[in-house]
Amino acid sequence: MTKIIVNGREVEADPQKPLIAACHDHGEHVPHYCYHPGLSAVGSCRICQVEVKQGEMPARVVAACRTPIAEGMVVNTDSEGAHDSRRECLEFLLKNHPLDCPICDKAGECSLQDYSFQEAQAEGRSSEPRRKLEKRKDLGDVILLDQERCILCSRCVRFMDEVPKSPQLCISGRGSHSVVETWQDAPLTGNYQGNLADVCPVGALTLKDFRFQARVWNLTRVPSTCSECSRGCSITAEVLRDGEVKRMRPRPNENVNGYWMCDHGRFSEGELNRSDRMAPAALRDDAGQLTAADPGDALRVIQNLLSVQSQALLLASPYLTVEEGEAFSQLARSLGRQASFFSPEPNDLRDDVLHTGDPCPNRRGLQEAGLTPMSSDEWAAASAAADCILLVGERLLDMLGDEALAGLPATQRLVVMECRASDHPAVDVAIGVPNRVERSGTWINVDGAAGAIRAARPAPQGVRTIVDLLADLTTTSGQPEEALSS
Amino acid sequence: MVIVKRKTLTLAERLYLPEILRGLSITFRKMFQPKVTRQYPEEPLPTNEVTRGQPRLRELTEGHLACVSCGLCEAACPAYAITIDGQETDRFIEREPERFEIDMLRCILCGFCEEACPKEAIFMSTELELAGFTRESFKYGIDKLKRSTEELAPRMEYIKRINERW
Repeated sequence: MTKIIVNGREVEADPQKPLIAACHDHGEHVPHYCYHPGLSAVGSCRICQVEVKQGEMPARVVAACRTPIAEGMVVNTDSEGAHDSRRECLEFLLKNHPLDCPICDKAGECSLQDYSFQEAQAEGRSSEPRRKLEKRKDLGDVILLDQERCILCSRCVRFMDEVPKSPQLCISGRGSHSVVETWQDAPLTGNYQGNLADVCPVGALTLKDFRFQARVWNLTRVPSTCSECSRGCSITAEVLRDGEVKRMRPRPNENVNGYWMCDHGRFSEGELNRSDRMAPAALRDDAGQLTAADPGDALRVIQNLLSVQSQALLLASPYLTVEEGEAFSQLARSLGRQASFFSPEPNDLRDDVLHTGDPCPNRRGLQEAGLTPMSSDEWAAASAAADCILLVGERLLDMLGDEALAGLPATQRLVVMECRASDHPAVDVAIGVPNRVERSGTWINVDGAAGAIRAARPAPQGVRTIVDLLADLTTTSGQPEEALSS
Repeated sequence: MVIVKRKTLTLAERLYLPEILRGLSITFRKMFQPKVTRQYPEEPLPTNEVTRGQPRLRELTEGHLACVSCGLCEAACPAYAITIDGQETDRFIEREPERFEIDMLRCILCGFCEEACPKEAIFMSTELELAGFTRESFKYGIDKLKRSTEELAPRMEYIKRINERW
């Protein structure tokens, strides 16, 4: 560690990192466009200039992202000279930047807006026309490029080079003809394209999926964890007006995902926004229809079933949290059965960056809670032998598939606690449960790091948490009531 | 305890008739003076470009709204009366409102939306009347809010003029 002085304060700085990182680490914000803590520094935007005095030399203004830390540096991030240089750089950056802010999806989280405001760069002095370039350039399925908005910071180019290690973007042309492009306009490929929209400091690279979906200041941001693989990337779930999840973005976490997440996880919000939700409780009536019922009645029916049937199969969804897993195995213990969770086949998305290919986000957590993994072959054998099946948790019906349920014997009782509605004829009792943006808990990832999931919006009316439901079942199971017709 | 002494009436007052005549004289005098009562609602209130009535959206001559659904009026609205959802268009201006809803029961006619608008798309009209049978009917959508540029022109001119002062 090296001692330097930042704005009159002596601080310990890591000499491996550039000066800008030391300033940020100690709460002194230095504006930056091309610098990104997860990428190499190139010093192309020149906005991060700070005044540095070293030894006997007079103070000079340098780019903080390309300046190594040296013992005894005296840094002033707020000097007049630094502000002047930043303002001049901004004027050049804004020279060709269109006044698109009312339309631009980045407005509200755009560093160009923020720093223009901060450095009081309110008016341009040039009267020449702005560059006319392509406004809607298609870069594949995920990303749309607006070349006019681009400030040529090259973060996107470095990202593609350094993180997924598949260089596909480049800055072509020279001088004022420079533009970001792919080779011969080939569409981008790979599972990490979504990050380009995050690294872009302006609105040049935007997500097609999020295009004009919401103004960013209207979104409620809730820290959460990605569900799509056992990496469990830290994310922020962004919800519009307590309703739809509009996007998911990576949240910096050095221990798990760095600054990134894959597109598979990023675009998994469609399933969270589906409108066909399971009713709080439904029972099969005399006419054979699954109709809405009183939740208390439905729970009593389940209790009765579990106490009467001795060969119950208790299967949880792999999306259950540690807390719900504990409650589930407690219920299993009180019945003298073994609780399991469904463990789907690994998918082929595994890569060297983040994706593990294992679709169970909480495999370790559930195993530690006493649940055993159950593959689809084991499920086929176990379900045929059971006289009563309890399925708990989101997406379990989709994972098992309707055919698997159709093959169950008619005498078997099937209890489902799911998020999405199901009118499958095999289902006898159905209870609606909150999905992973409506409940809180913990997932433990493949390396043993805990990741919290946090409720970002209220659950549908009348829907109770899985922990509550399972606790109610546990306290009274093993004490059969009057035989209820089910 | 307060003792109120009653005034004794004069003869003329006791006669009643002179007082009646005095009162009627005022009545007749006023009959021939100019009227000050306004026969609202048959006779509507006079309005001018300074009138801050209900907000309305400006429709361009090409038939679409000037609004690009940037959401600044929504953010500026102190009464949370405005809700906007955007959508993509094929035009050069890539974005337009899919839903633009003003809850007229919440709107306090403050004019912040008009002030916040960067696109000259929302203006305070001269329309002041508001009546309905259900709460839902006061949620005005684009169909109820859009007005032609000509209708809003006086207010537009006025806003431009006062903005120039700054």
